[in-house]
Amino acid sequence: MSIKESLKQILVEELNLEDMTPEEIEDDAPLFGEGLGLDSLDAVELVVLVQKHFGVEIKDMDEGRPALQSINTLAAFIEAKRVA
Amino acid sequence: MSSSKQKTAGEKSWNSRSVGAAWQHRFFYGLIRFGGRRVAYAMLALVVLYYVLLRPDQRRKSEFYLRRRFPEAKKTMLLLHSYRMSLALGKSLIDRAVVGILGPSSTQVTLRGREELLSLLDEGKGLILITAHAGSWQTAMAALDFLQQPVSLLMQREAGDIDRHYFEHGGRECPFRIIDPSGYLGGALEMIGVLKAGEILSVMGDRMLGSDRNAVAVDFLGAPVPFPFSAYKLASATGAPIGVLLSAKTGIDRYELRLARVIRVPAGLRRGSAAFVPYVRQFAETLEDYTRQHPYQFFNFYDMWDSESAAWPAADPSNNKE
Repeated sequence: MSIKESLKQILVEELNLEDMTPEEIEDDAPLFGEGLGLDSLDAVELVVLVQKHFGVEIKDMDEGRPALQSINTLAAFIEAKRVA
Repeated sequence: MSSSKQKTAGEKSWNSRSVGAAWQHRFFYGLIRFGGRRVAYAMLALVVLYYVLLRPDQRRKSEFYLRRRFPEAKKTMLLLHSYRMSLALGKSLIDRAVVGILGPSSTQVTLRGREELLSLLDEGKGLILITAHAGSWQTAMAALDFLQQPVSLLMQREAGDIDRHYFEHGGRECPFRIIDPSGYLGGALEMIGVLKAGEILSVMGDRMLGSDRNAVAVDFLGAPVPFPFSAYKLASATGAPIGVLLSAKTGIDRYELRLARVIRVPAGLRRGSAAFVPYVRQFAETLEDYTRQHPYQFFNFYDMWDSESAAWPAADPSNNKE
């Protein structure tokens, strides 16, 4: 399973995205606000989930803000951190 | 909770806008500068008398809390309680300005729990300090230098709030890093960053900031009140311990700052507000104890027990065990 697919599954199952399947989440849809509708507490949860499932730490705002824009940006961030 | 029941920030029932005009605040700053604290207190006593006797709209704001704290009080006693509470708030604001204008040495702060605070910080997971609108939290925060770690403060300031923070007198540099709860993701990423760096995050535990979705209702002085639970969520996510830090005025130029409780929130709590009820309840109990000891130093001048509280996530008895 690719990082993007894993992320979508995590979002649906662990952030309880109601009425949504992993396949329905678009790669470039905004994670917060108008997109998937996640909020600030979900951001905290997501940071924890990324560390738990991928062993990648989002340390602060500088790293988190660009990474948490969409599935695309988050997957790219995880990939880059794993390579580093 | 349905979105229709959620209040927006603009509809919330309280604001931090100041009572009185800017010149009146400057007048008090002048009194402090040229006459000292006692002269400012004397003028304050008259001003508070005016507000309590002739401004029922202002007096009513104190009665939401006072009717809960003193349920047996009749009209005359409520008036007296309102005067004492409003006077205490005024003194707290004057004391804050005194620290800024005359310097921190003008006020003695006794800290109870110093060693425990140092030990919590030594755990290396950051430290969340939950405070409340009680006593004079700014005076108290000025006494935390010994921790030798940067302090970040989640703080919202509204248009129309003309009270100066103590560090703004004399153009001092702000000793805290301010995190704006109306910023990106409510400041969540900044707060995580603070804790991951092993630093100190201070939040107010008794009022809602930002989205009301992040609240859970627990009993406070006999009825449910929605308290924010984001700090407890952060503690669970990062492993940071929580210290409930409350200040109280104990003399004309004396404050006591007390580590009133340490709250440990386990990792991996399930999602949703109900999981955080036991920890928010610990905070509410601590705050209740505080109001028993310092009934006039609890400064929430709005209806915390608004009937809409009933629509908040109810306490789930299965989650009540610590």
